[in-house]
Amino acid sequence: MGLSDYIIMRELNFPDINRFERYCQVGGWEAYRTAVKEQTPATIVQMVKEAGLRGRGGAGFPTGIKWSFLPKDVFPRYLLCNCDESEPGTFNNHQIIDRNPHQLIEGVALSAYAIECHTAYIYMRGEFAAAALTLEQAIDEAYRAGLLGKNILGTGYDLDIYVHRGAGAYICGEETALMESLEGKIGQPRLKPPFPAVAGLYGKPTIINNVETLANVPRIVEKGVAWYRSHGTEKSPGTKCFSLSGHVNRPGNYELPFGVPLRELIESPEYGGGMKGSRPIKIIIPGGASAPWLTAKHLDVPLDYEGVAAAGSMLGSGAVIVLNDTVKAPHVAYKMDEFFKHESCGKCTPCREGTHWLVKVLHRLAEEGHAEPDDIPTLHGIYRQMAGNCFCLLGESAVMPIKSALELFPEEFEAIIKASNERHQRNGAHAIPLRVS
Amino acid sequence: MLLETHREAIETIVGRYASPRSAVLPLLYLAQDVYGHLSNAAIREVADILALPETAVFEVVGFYTLFYSRPVGTWMLQVCDDVPCCYLGAEELITALKDSLQIKEEETSADGMFTLQRVKCLAACDRAPVLQANLDYVYDVTPDKVEALLKDLQSRAADARRRGVSGRFAEDFAVTEQGAVELVARDAPYQSRQFEVQGPPPPPEPLPPPEVESGQDRAETRRGSPL
Ligand SMILES: Cc1cc2nc3c(=O)[nH]c(=O)nc-3n(C[C@H](O)[C@H](O)[C@H](O)COP(=O)(O)O)c2cc1C
Ligand code: SF4
Ligand code: FES
Repeated sequence: MGLSDYIIMRELNFPDINRFERYCQVGGWEAYRTAVKEQTPATIVQMVKEAGLRGRGGAGFPTGIKWSFLPKDVFPRYLLCNCDESEPGTFNNHQIIDRNPHQLIEGVALSAYAIECHTAYIYMRGEFAAAALTLEQAIDEAYRAGLLGKNILGTGYDLDIYVHRGAGAYICGEETALMESLEGKIGQPRLKPPFPAVAGLYGKPTIINNVETLANVPRIVEKGVAWYRSHGTEKSPGTKCFSLSGHVNRPGNYELPFGVPLRELIESPEYGGGMKGSRPIKIIIPGGASAPWLTAKHLDVPLDYEGVAAAGSMLGSGAVIVLNDTVKAPHVAYKMDEFFKHESCGKCTPCREGTHWLVKVLHRLAEEGHAEPDDIPTLHGIYRQMAGNCFCLLGESAVMPIKSALELFPEEFEAIIKASNERHQRNGAHAIPLRVS
Repeated sequence: MLLETHREAIETIVGRYASPRSAVLPLLYLAQDVYGHLSNAAIREVADILALPETAVFEVVGFYTLFYSRPVGTWMLQVCDDVPCCYLGAEELITALKDSLQIKEEETSADGMFTLQRVKCLAACDRAPVLQANLDYVYDVTPDKVEALLKDLQSRAADARRRGVSGRFAEDFAVTEQGAVELVARDAPYQSRQFEVQGPPPPPEPLPPPEVESGQDRAETRRGSPL
């Protein structure tokens, strides 16, 4: 089931689509021109609402509804485009910008117009240095064409778009931490409420959306709600750019309508092309590191928000990591929790301490093969103290890898413990200190 | 002093925000490129420019991983060791780099040329193993390409020193037909900046004719094509 008409990866085969003139030749910037000249902001918000566009940053929250949370008549407002993209396995924002920056900028401009704001920031992870410059060049082109700046197209509407680079912190993708970071502070999340739509950047009403979310907006406005809704499912309309990685033959970004079964993404020769060396699938992580794991049993799960949730996981950022039987579940849990430990911002104790202890125990067990008889209850104990007690979702996400590994592959932990016990006959000779890091 | 050498750039940056404090990250990048790393004096200078308490800026430098408060090599090599890269050759790549450079992670080679770091997902997992050299992406770096990569980087050391470690000029590089990495002018047509280390460059892929009807789209970003 290929797509005949792409939304996010549109016209990528068109040479030099990243140039302003080329993008215009395929109808680019038309939706924005028409909107600014002929449509009211409220019309655009209504279209996005009716199209059922859902946020692609992880939560799947309906974008039009988020926009309508803005308090009436409070100005200035800000639009933030979230391009922090640091969730392991996720790499579609990166490629959207590198290949077709104007589509994103048009999306940002249209959305800014819709929510009646005059300043938008695109917050990029610091590592996207080259992509930041690509965007800045494309933004310059849009200014030169009179599509940004003061009195746009003679309508009296003003809009500035700036690129702001972070400096290497996953937590800055969390919306309130992103605002802190943009205000020049360390990226620690804020307490909610107040929600950003009420008090966000500099305490002003702020809307924050993912790159892929905003890249959808020009096509919705250009081609209409019915066309958009002809893709995907009733509750998850449109398409999703899945980042497929791991032990598959053809890792990459694939744009598919919501609702396509996992099997098709992984096995179809057009997309993943099956597993490398035809080895069996062991672990599927369907939504980036924060998502509970699935296994080969789940290949028929439809890839939409509801379908993946019903299977006990989440679609999250749409990053599908597929691992084969050469990996050990305790080691995968170790590597993933090492990520969360590395990225914990340190604000709250359950996450700061919990991730450290998880990694210490898992490193000893999975990396060095030294296990204590009570390691399994210890690990359960650590993540239970984290779950539900963390200040933000990063800490809650850190629970998922270890919980999944213990649930799905308990025998692998037991085997390490057994081998370790036999090897050392519990005479104390193996007692190595926990790694001090 | 930055205010003397870069006043215009600083004023432009500060002018983008409702609060000058928002300019902390961009100004730290600037200082890091000018001074090579963020010494205490450099951090105080940024605090002075923005009239912020020193602690507010020291705290930021400590929090974000792309700010270096001690001297680093001409090239900062940052290798992704996250899932899935770690199962697709990243560990072997790190071992090859360590062997070749005779250093461990977080160390700088004796000649001051390379600092090696492990980093988390770089959002290019489809091109594993992947690393960044002063924030220029280098894709598909299998361990057998390490020598060629290091040689290439070494030959561009002077450039690297001019550009700084923060990637503020990352776009200025492009691969020529011959596979060499060259500086491109800011206004030149877009070119791919990330380069691959390999032998002869692959033959250019035939492009479809420019007159394409809308709708001739593509479902995927092909492997092997420069982004
Ligand atoms: C720890 C953490 C990291 C996040 N990282 C990102 C990110 O890199 N990019 C992103 O778009 N959203 C990220 N989010 C989600 C954002 O907080 C926010 O929900 C999203 O940007 C809203 O955009 P959307 O409605 O378009 O999905 C992250 C959330 C958490 C808790
Ligand atoms: S859960 Fe972790 S990342 Fe979130 S506030 Fe607490 S310490 Fe910071
Ligand atoms: S895990 Fe290495 S780039 Fe994503």
